[in-house]
Amino acid sequence: MTMSAPAQISKTPAEEALQRNFEAVVDALPAQAGSGAARRAAMARFDALGLPHRRMEAWKYTDLRTSLRDVSEPAVGTAAGIDAATLDGALGALAALDVYRAVFVNGCFSADLSSLPSAADVEIAPLSADRGATGTASGSDNALDGESIVALNEAFVTDGLSIKAGTSAHLAKPIMIISARTGDSDLLVTLSHDFELAPMSELTVLETAVSVGPAGGQSNTRVATEIGDGAKLAHIKVGSLTPVVDLATWTARLGRDATYKPAQFTPGAPLARNQTFVTFEGEGGDLDFVAGVLASGTDHVDTTIVVHHVAPGCRSRELLKAVLNGKARAVSQGKVIVDREAQKTDGKQMAQALMLSEDTEFDSKPELEIYADDVACGHGSTSAQIDPEHVFYLRSRGIPEAIAQTMLTEAFVTEAIDAIDNEAIRGAVAQLARDWLAANAT
Amino acid sequence: MLEITDLHVKLEEEDKEIIKGLSLTVPKGEVHAIMGPNGSGKSTLAYVLSGRDGYEVTGGDIRWNGESILEMEPEERAAAGVFLAFQYPMEIPGVAGLTFLRTAVNALRKARGQDELTTPAFLRLAKEKGAELNIDIDMLKRPVNVGFSGGEKKRAEILQMALLEPSLCVLDETDSGLDIDALRIVSEGVNALRSPERSMLLITHYQRLLNYIVPDQVHVLAHGRIQKSGDKSLALELEKSGYAEYSEKAA
Repeated sequence: MTMSAPAQISKTPAEEALQRNFEAVVDALPAQAGSGAARRAAMARFDALGLPHRRMEAWKYTDLRTSLRDVSEPAVGTAAGIDAATLDGALGALAALDVYRAVFVNGCFSADLSSLPSAADVEIAPLSADRGATGTASGSDNALDGESIVALNEAFVTDGLSIKAGTSAHLAKPIMIISARTGDSDLLVTLSHDFELAPMSELTVLETAVSVGPAGGQSNTRVATEIGDGAKLAHIKVGSLTPVVDLATWTARLGRDATYKPAQFTPGAPLARNQTFVTFEGEGGDLDFVAGVLASGTDHVDTTIVVHHVAPGCRSRELLKAVLNGKARAVSQGKVIVDREAQKTDGKQMAQALMLSEDTEFDSKPELEIYADDVACGHGSTSAQIDPEHVFYLRSRGIPEAIAQTMLTEAFVTEAIDAIDNEAIRGAVAQLARDWLAANAT
Repeated sequence: MLEITDLHVKLEEEDKEIIKGLSLTVPKGEVHAIMGPNGSGKSTLAYVLSGRDGYEVTGGDIRWNGESILEMEPEERAAAGVFLAFQYPMEIPGVAGLTFLRTAVNALRKARGQDELTTPAFLRLAKEKGAELNIDIDMLKRPVNVGFSGGEKKRAEILQMALLEPSLCVLDETDSGLDIDALRIVSEGVNALRSPERSMLLITHYQRLLNYIVPDQVHVLAHGRIQKSGDKSLALELEKSGYAEYSEKAA
């Protein structure tokens, strides 16, 4: 017997369970979010690929074949109720934000809990209400064909939010998408969102997830974004406030002079992978990506971003700040591809970890693939402990040691949080970070 | 009153004694200057007073108002009234100056049994004291000392001193890196804090500072101990003759 062809790799129990679960629920999954045929095609792709593993360069540090042992029952998009006050309680600092809300409960849009704007030039609707079987989120775009996580998303998707902002549209308030869980059993919640910004429009979208009961489980979220010429999108994610295995795939295509500000904050997660794929298709595009990772215990948080400069004269910035305690592990992979035509590209990435204990691990892998000759690209990575000189300086001013440590840890992530333009959201995220640090970083 | 008696200090990491039997008394309300050549142990003395790690006291004692401070943590010393104005103030990215100052002021007030200041009350105070030192409130919204010039950092140290109301001020080479204008502003700030309730120890290499902040006594520190003490005229003498005499003495 030879050991070579990938096809001969035996299925893991998780892969088998996913296949089994799919067959059990496929006919019950909402057709508005994907036809049975499209789902079966996606599942066949997954079946051929299997879960990503460490021998794949993009999954070197996050081997789902080994780390994804159990698979939760898939949500099938049946409506479930949550008390509004209970939901607010679970949202903590995010509850008080003055935003439009799109709430999904167990993967199904809840009109009762949502408050969508009624603006003439912005169409917002859940997939369950409005969608042909072939929406823009499915099918093939970017380098994602074959990504088994995306295939799983297309197979199991139950709902999602579609936002179409018309030319020069502005909303008075940000939109907050909340994926809530309720009930006693763990669930796999699969959502797919679509953001389409026509030229010169502007949107701020905040995305978060929470469980109002004991239910945890897994989530697989896909966000497909198109930002038209001169349009601007700030997309802020606050990872699940209650622990779940969280897989998220964002793809964004930027037009001429478009601005994209993705921000991903993870307040701890047993296993999280946020993968973002950005393509500059028009000249003068601007990307400002930040990630704030807070991880303790045995958390594993992977932030992967691939930035593809197709058009010339675009600027990309990526900053990751990770605070690690216990035996937590953070992964930062940043790849920048600059095509031959993409002259005058200005790309910089920085990944920094603050290690509060000796058993933490930070894997940072920057990659540059440059085919143009007139570009400025750079990357850097640091991992360090809190500077004892800084601690001493604060203590010499009367600040007790524990408070000094917390101040300096908070200061470390502040740089990422400060990238959020919306003041109220910035304040709420800072508060969540402070709460997390108070509970996990001392 | 500060009483240092037969103090011996070595580096924790290596077997090198830096302070070798130093004795010094600074009565309440007095300003004393310590002058000495490079490497004489001046900065070590400042750090040992503030409780910095890396030094081991192998003999003698430091008492402040009758109580030994050697076993105290840095924040406990600060609460007891000890303040060190650093020669090289630390830059702390990400911590806003006002947050740092308010946290420090209120931590000290709490430790000293006083009520904490409300944010508006604190801001009024910071504004008022800042204005005296030419420090704009906008400068304090920035991260602590980040991007400050040498002179700005020293002025910020004196502002901290004014806000934290210490009873023992140790100023380590506060004049280094200052131009004439900055030296004047800093000195005025220090002089404004002179009071019968407050003792000060000025550590300096040059006599220049002492034209602005006139000391009650001057001590010459060399080879880890006080070699000579006198009034302010001793500083002028040193300015003329240099420290050569003290180098020979040891040789």
